[in-house]
Amino acid sequence: MILVQIFLRGGCDTLSLVAPIDGPDRKHYEDARPSLKIPISGSNKALPITSTFGFHPAAKALQTLFIEKRLAVIQATGLMRPTRSHFDAQMMIETGATENRGQLDGWLGRYLTLSQAAPKAIHNSHSIEAVAIGAQLPNSLLACNKALVVNSLSGFDIAGGRFQEDQRAALRRMYGENSNPLLNQWINQSATETLNAIDEIESANPGAYSPTGGAQYPGGEIGNRLKSLAQLLKMEIGLEAIAIDMGGWDTHKYQGNGGEGQFARMIGELSGAVEAFLKDLDSSGKDSIGSRVRVVVLTEFGRRVKENGNGGTDHGHGSFMLALGQGVNGGKIYGTWPGLSSEQLFERADLKVTTDYRQILSELALGDRLMSEAPKLFPGFVPQKATGLV
Amino acid sequence: MKFSRRKVIGIGAAGALGALGELAGIGIPLRVEAAGKNSPPSPHLPANEKGSQPLVLTVLGKATYGQTPEAIEAFNGLGSTQVAARHSFIEAQLHPQQISDAVCEHKITQLGLVSLNKDLAKLWADYFVEPNRLKDEMKDAPPKPGAPPVKMKDFNQMKIQPAMETEAATWIRAVYSQRQVHEILTEFWHDHFNIFAYDGNQAPVFAHFDREVVRKHALGNFREFLEAVAKSPAMLFYLDNFVNQSSNPNENYARELFELHTLGADNYLGTEDRSKVPGFAQKNPLGYVDGDVYEAARCLTGWRVDTGKNTGETGSFAYVDQFHDRFQKIVLGRQFPELQPPLKDGELVLDLLAEHPGTAHTICKKLCRRFVADQPSEVLIRSAAQIFIDKRKAPDQLLQVMRFILSSAEFSSGSAEQKLRRPFESAVALLRATGCEFQPSEKFLNIFNRAGQRRFGWRTPDGYPDTKEKWGNTTAWLEKWRLANQLMGGKIEGVKVQLTAISDHLSVKSPHALAEFWGNRMLGMPLSPNALKEVTDLLAQGRDPMRALPPVQIENRLGPAVALIAMSPQFQWRG
Repeated sequence: MILVQIFLRGGCDTLSLVAPIDGPDRKHYEDARPSLKIPISGSNKALPITSTFGFHPAAKALQTLFIEKRLAVIQATGLMRPTRSHFDAQMMIETGATENRGQLDGWLGRYLTLSQAAPKAIHNSHSIEAVAIGAQLPNSLLACNKALVVNSLSGFDIAGGRFQEDQRAALRRMYGENSNPLLNQWINQSATETLNAIDEIESANPGAYSPTGGAQYPGGEIGNRLKSLAQLLKMEIGLEAIAIDMGGWDTHKYQGNGGEGQFARMIGELSGAVEAFLKDLDSSGKDSIGSRVRVVVLTEFGRRVKENGNGGTDHGHGSFMLALGQGVNGGKIYGTWPGLSSEQLFERADLKVTTDYRQILSELALGDRLMSEAPKLFPGFVPQKATGLV
Repeated sequence: MKFSRRKVIGIGAAGALGALGELAGIGIPLRVEAAGKNSPPSPHLPANEKGSQPLVLTVLGKATYGQTPEAIEAFNGLGSTQVAARHSFIEAQLHPQQISDAVCEHKITQLGLVSLNKDLAKLWADYFVEPNRLKDEMKDAPPKPGAPPVKMKDFNQMKIQPAMETEAATWIRAVYSQRQVHEILTEFWHDHFNIFAYDGNQAPVFAHFDREVVRKHALGNFREFLEAVAKSPAMLFYLDNFVNQSSNPNENYARELFELHTLGADNYLGTEDRSKVPGFAQKNPLGYVDGDVYEAARCLTGWRVDTGKNTGETGSFAYVDQFHDRFQKIVLGRQFPELQPPLKDGELVLDLLAEHPGTAHTICKKLCRRFVADQPSEVLIRSAAQIFIDKRKAPDQLLQVMRFILSSAEFSSGSAEQKLRRPFESAVALLRATGCEFQPSEKFLNIFNRAGQRRFGWRTPDGYPDTKEKWGNTTAWLEKWRLANQLMGGKIEGVKVQLTAISDHLSVKSPHALAEFWGNRMLGMPLSPNALKEVTDLLAQGRDPMRALPPVQIENRLGPAVALIAMSPQFQWRG
């Protein structure tokens, strides 16, 4: 299985993505969000996924995937130890630390280790097993020495012209194990990994990329990144763990409601990019990659239930996760909905967390090895019985 | 203020400097001979062994954007011993205004960066009001037949001109300025008070933020710096405080003020009840909680930017009392009475934060990490923090903290491998060491920015990371290596490479001699034996490495050979 994590950085507003459309919480929601509420009538109305909840109108593709039972929503997820700091929350989620400092490796790296220890039909003989698409290594892959960071496959070489082969051979020796014993071993390792990646990607000959299956990626960060990822996956270089970031969710002002604004634009991009990504992979021939990929979307926290006076929302607590792809029992909302009345909120302000994010990541990553291996994936975590998500 | 050696030593004796073993001898074996412009500093320096490189290279490596023969010569001319030269160097660098910087200023003038010296009102008028006026005009006017269509993008380009011109000037200064420590500190403080410069309303006023806030206070007083940031339109826009008002509080800035600008995440105690924070009752809480953030946000209501037509639309800081929350508050255990005079609530918050020992520790930890090592010792951090606290009222508080850090034994005696060059440092060091004639062209910036460290291009308020693990990733390596080849290939607009001219004085231009010369020139010390062999082999291409190369082969091979030095292990570290 290929596990793809899409992390929405900045704290994505849960209640704008999955809004209550009926029942008592609709009233609480409308009271708290006089200008930001997603309407339930008109051209920008919410897209129903159950009798009581609907997606943001810009998330049309997500609604379709939900109806096709490929996409599952998990509500009121998050950290059991509350924090309203982006950086604390992201660090804790990505490393699985229960204090804001402590665990110093990323959960996706641990996933990779566990996945490789598990029996499977085909063993990976390639060198690229984990990758982050972007310019920086996210903490989900912190201290994972197999993780690459790839920004773009075009120009994935050292631009050395006719001396490039000489230079690469020279670099291999200069950063070789015993060549500079006085120097830090860390630098040898990380430079050598880069040289390996250049070899690997060169031999797969990426060239220009045309998506298949009629997939049309939207422009923008997430579209470009998922497109690069699809290209990498089709090269069949043995990827198992992928981290992709999408920034810009810290909507303290002018986030917009159903019709327009920053949130609508971004959720539209995300939704369109995920749709294109699946189409692209589903059409990748026999043993399609689409049938082997499992995607999880998450964010560090949800936002304050009550909107602020600047057409935005401040940092909150409970959020959501999306799961789709291989083996996911979609078309269903998982998790206990805690409600939006004042006494049901965390500190009378934020959506409560009723599902530990670690439960969901463990189920998606481990499947039927949940009970035995979740404590290895997230040290100190004792899983609940599986929710049936996979 | 003139440099006074006694004063430096005085601090050492009185403060923690002495306790750290400073001035007890740093084990520098020899003074580097003054180097001529076109000769290596010295062929006799010891090879790169951990902890024993000459002091000049450590100082230039960690406190500047990289050595050059001229910088080594200037450093060595400052004192009869390396230690004495270091003292003079630090003292001179900590007073940047007294250093003549004509060459650099001339280069900037040549670029014609018109926004750089405009005051706030002018920046706002020219890069915010004017593009908006043109945009409205275009909307109202019928499209002219035959005229090229005007795009929305063009107006946005106008708005970000001050940000892009600041970016260009920053490159020039990093490469050419004599005020190198000030430049490194400017980068540090831009990371610390990070603003994404290229969109929003902060772009038109970014030149002001760089000039009047960051550069002006980088060696000044932290409390004054903090207030300059808090009142800067760029930060007010970037972190939304310009819309923070009593009826509609917005806590974005207040939160990052605590978490990133002052106390830091180390001192965040989460969503706890305030009264349970140790020290709360004594008005001296150990750290802060969400409650403090909320109340600080109330204190900062009404801190805005004048964007109103009726008030002159000056783009400057404005306090609007009717938007201020006038009732009593509690921040960090202190009671703020109701109905305080204008600005008082916010200024008191800045006072409390600037004086909290947690802030001193957080700031000094980051400074030590920038200048000394990824994991500086706790004793160094604490000693620096004590100076930060003791000198909190001094107008040159940050200068005194920097003097201490740069004079510390830990700064100068650590191994050469403590700080990995980030992409920006790598590129600047390469341009400096190879003596390129440089202007930051669009083509150059497009290539560089792929490495993930565009100046002022980090979107979230935490700034670019500063540890090697964050920059030792595939993309950062690959783009560093690519950039070395592309620059030395000599085909990038704005980068004039003159490698053959610089080594033209060598009497025998053999692969071995060229490799040795360029190794020394790039590193300030010899290449390691195996790297020397690799560079020599690349130049020789199977021929006798001791025989002179014909000019055409030098022309073809020297670029890739020098690029290979830039890709080698030794070049990756900041001294």
